[in-house]
Amino acid sequence: MEQGGDRSGPGQARPLAQVGRPLPRREDARILSGASRFLDDIDPEGTLHVAFVRSPHAHAKVLGIRALGDELVLTAGDIAGHARALPIQLPEGAWAADEPHPLLAVDEVRYVGQPVAAVLAESRALAEDAAELVEVEYEPLEPVVDPYASTQELLRWERAAGDVEGAFEAADAVVRGHYSMPRVVAAPMETRGAIAFNDRDEGLLTLWCSAQDTHRQLRNLAHVLERAPESIRVVVPDVGGAFGSKGVLAAEAGVVAAAALLQARPVKWAEDRLENFMASYQGRGMHADVELALSREGRMLAIRARIVADVGGYLMPTTAMPPHTAAMLMCGVYRIAAAGIAVSGRRTNKVPTGPYRGAGRPEAAYFVERIVDDAARELGIDPVELRRRNLVRDFPHETPLGWIYDSGDYGGCLDRALELVRPERSEDDERIVATGVGMYVERSGGQFESAEVERAADGTVTIRSSSSPHGQGHATTFAQIAAERLGVDLSAVTMEFGDSALVPAGTGTFASRSVAMAGSAIVRAIEDLEASADGRHGSARFESPLVFASGAYAAVVEIERATGRLRVRRIAAVDDPGTIINPLLAEGQVLGGTAQGLGECQFEEAVYDEEGQFTGASFLDYSLMTAAEMPPVATAFVESPSPLNPLGAKGIGEGGAIGTPAAVGNAIAAALGGASLDPPWSEDKLWRALQAPAPAAVPRFDVVTAARPAGERALIVLGALAAGALAVVLVRRRR
Amino acid sequence: MKPVPFEYSAPESVDGVLALLGDDAKVLAGGQSLVPLLNFRLARPERIVDINRIEELAYIRGDDDGSLRIGAGARQAALERSQLVAGRWPLLSQAVRHVGHPQIRSRGTVCGSVAHADPTAELPVALTALDARFHVRRGGGARTLDAAELFAGPLTTTLAADELLAEIEVPALPAGARCGFSEHARTHGDFAVAGAAVVRAPSHAAIALLGAGWTPLRAPAAERALAEGAPAEEVAALAAEPVEDAHRAALTRALVRQAVEEAGA
Repeated sequence: MEQGGDRSGPGQARPLAQVGRPLPRREDARILSGASRFLDDIDPEGTLHVAFVRSPHAHAKVLGIRALGDELVLTAGDIAGHARALPIQLPEGAWAADEPHPLLAVDEVRYVGQPVAAVLAESRALAEDAAELVEVEYEPLEPVVDPYASTQELLRWERAAGDVEGAFEAADAVVRGHYSMPRVVAAPMETRGAIAFNDRDEGLLTLWCSAQDTHRQLRNLAHVLERAPESIRVVVPDVGGAFGSKGVLAAEAGVVAAAALLQARPVKWAEDRLENFMASYQGRGMHADVELALSREGRMLAIRARIVADVGGYLMPTTAMPPHTAAMLMCGVYRIAAAGIAVSGRRTNKVPTGPYRGAGRPEAAYFVERIVDDAARELGIDPVELRRRNLVRDFPHETPLGWIYDSGDYGGCLDRALELVRPERSEDDERIVATGVGMYVERSGGQFESAEVERAADGTVTIRSSSSPHGQGHATTFAQIAAERLGVDLSAVTMEFGDSALVPAGTGTFASRSVAMAGSAIVRAIEDLEASADGRHGSARFESPLVFASGAYAAVVEIERATGRLRVRRIAAVDDPGTIINPLLAEGQVLGGTAQGLGECQFEEAVYDEEGQFTGASFLDYSLMTAAEMPPVATAFVESPSPLNPLGAKGIGEGGAIGTPAAVGNAIAAALGGASLDPPWSEDKLWRALQAPAPAAVPRFDVVTAARPAGERALIVLGALAAGALAVVLVRRRR
Repeated sequence: MKPVPFEYSAPESVDGVLALLGDDAKVLAGGQSLVPLLNFRLARPERIVDINRIEELAYIRGDDDGSLRIGAGARQAALERSQLVAGRWPLLSQAVRHVGHPQIRSRGTVCGSVAHADPTAELPVALTALDARFHVRRGGGARTLDAAELFAGPLTTTLAADELLAEIEVPALPAGARCGFSEHARTHGDFAVAGAAVVRAPSHAAIALLGAGWTPLRAPAAERALAEGAPAEEVAALAAEPVEDAHRAALTRALVRQAVEEAGA
């Protein structure tokens, strides 16, 4: 690991030097021994279980709903007086159509899997049986699958700064490219779920929810139910992963809460894998036309981009965030004086999109880094040299789009990545080997978090944090921060989080922000405790502007000529997350993010057919990376502390997912002599590119409609069923 | 993902199983394909007949006639661990390692994989290359099929609803035989896209293809070429020729070549 940064914050004592120790996670013994408690482990007495009737159509009018069974069925009409659609959250300067996600479909369905009715029964199995007895009459409408064919804009954002037109006119070279990152699923190991119980005597509605944090769920629910936040308690138990997909209230969770208001019993929805594939919001789905203006010497003068986001049927609360983040990061790690970026979020008949690990940052890094390599080819300049000539080197640095990069050592990251990756380029009859580089800068931090600290007479300390974990390791890293500041042993620190009734207010666990924001709040709360008269209690609310982590990734890839098979030989991952609290957990974040990035490189894509059916919507067809496919990843850290918080922390949760596709994409473009292919780089796509007579620009939307054997497994099963191979009856037409 | 209601029986004898089989019944062996189909509510049998309690079906043994016998209850993991199989039918040991993950193989059965008849499953392809024979029983009768007679299409066999695939017989390999198995899957343990099983002996050559059609397919022209001593590349080209999709043909060609080379030809 690099020892570049000064780990200690200004003027802080470090009696036990806990910060910087690679401690194993304290929470693992409990989780691995099965003592954890996930949403589906919670089973209050008298619970009613929910199964949803979901739309089989990508676009249809709902003409009528008839329940033929005995179980209780709720439709939009039944909850109309109790709940409204989800809210829409907008980034600065954005316009959005008033098309929020309804809890249950009102008179139209806009994607396959959209909840139409909720069935409540004594068990989930009985609820599923009863859901089959709900007849919904649909009038199918024409679906829109291609965002470029969509005529309805749900989201718009535009910003231009500096003399963009002038720079393009004066440029010696203008490089243009079209780049896409397809939609993917988050696929956390634990699916979504919620349990609601309304205590009428107390006037308190409690929602247990598999979520990233309590506060956004609570705010969303207060909006949906038009209820005072004080009358709602949100409890987040152990959570088996989210990757962005549990950041806001699920429509289904809103229905569960509304149902609990109508019933005197707890109501539970534990999502199954099929539902998670169909109805959990997807990530990415962004396409960009990018233009880069350069001088002959390779100085980047201006960048222009039109980003089209395939946002799906409705706007979820955070659907607008990833396209906005991508747009704001379109200057990448480079000094570019002028930028003009426009975002258009187009309505399609697919499940909405939302944040997925990186949430706009991988898209920006991919768009920017791909065009930098294309520009290097065009100008005949080495791509690494072209980067060096343009890297931001002085901080703080304000981009023309208005974000201020607080700290960094972009050149240092790049040097270290090249050193670790050992670049290769070779070609023979059997394979092509090439190297690519992808750099990134990522927004983190911002908004606020809180903490409360209590020291008992025996010296043990309890810390209540507004930030709750879903795999990050808060119980370890936060305790390290506290133990060091308090000068106590780690075992003396107990962490509490995940219950809105117990913890102070905060923002949430997303955008790699937990250590920078919630960790800093703990530091401030300890300072408050130490300044207090009795030395027993402290509390603090910490807020700061955005902080910007960064990194450089490099990949060596090998493409087999005979089959098109891609083998990523090795990855070098160099991240600058600011001060590192726990290098072991930091490296774990890098490896996990890299694995997800590699999945996107190799095979992950939510493929839709022309009817708007997601054709690979199960693990029969949709593959995730396994340990067996992981190439060697050489990790290193550069620590440039942020001046904006007492820890000097920025963030590490997403770097692997951001840097990897950009680096692999550039390696593949280099291997194919500049041919432009977008992920996933499946063997058939690469093989077809190798059969092409010369590297030519690939038509714009080939990647979306390419003849990938998508849904093949599902087709085999359904084909056999149609042939009557199994003694079955298909009640619902799925395709 | 909960199955529709069904009757469940777990007889203690083969005769008990045969008495319960019929139009609306499915046999539950390892359940690695059937249970997901039940959970998707795609398979909706009225009765599940569980054969897991019949210990006499869980065997893998060598017969006096030199053949290998695999009973309906034998797990894929048992095949994988069998020293007898590793020594005398190494193609099965090679192929079974590609079936799903260890957890799946610990429950999944060899006969279950055959009866499920997935055209990209490894064991049916290996058994096709090995000229296996399939012994089928029903109440008051029995018959024996070869691979071409058994596999009818994707997830489709010629087994009648009242029949149980009771045993697989694999004849002894010719003297001096060597084997090769190769496949391509997107991830380790994923369903394979294409693959090949090869048996090569001084006067014998067998090549079976995975994912090249709707059932495991033999490649007769390529087998003749291999028997006549043609180079691996030529054998592979012949084997892949009938595969329609151009990329799948390219993949098949590369995998056949790899399996032929592994078989030492």
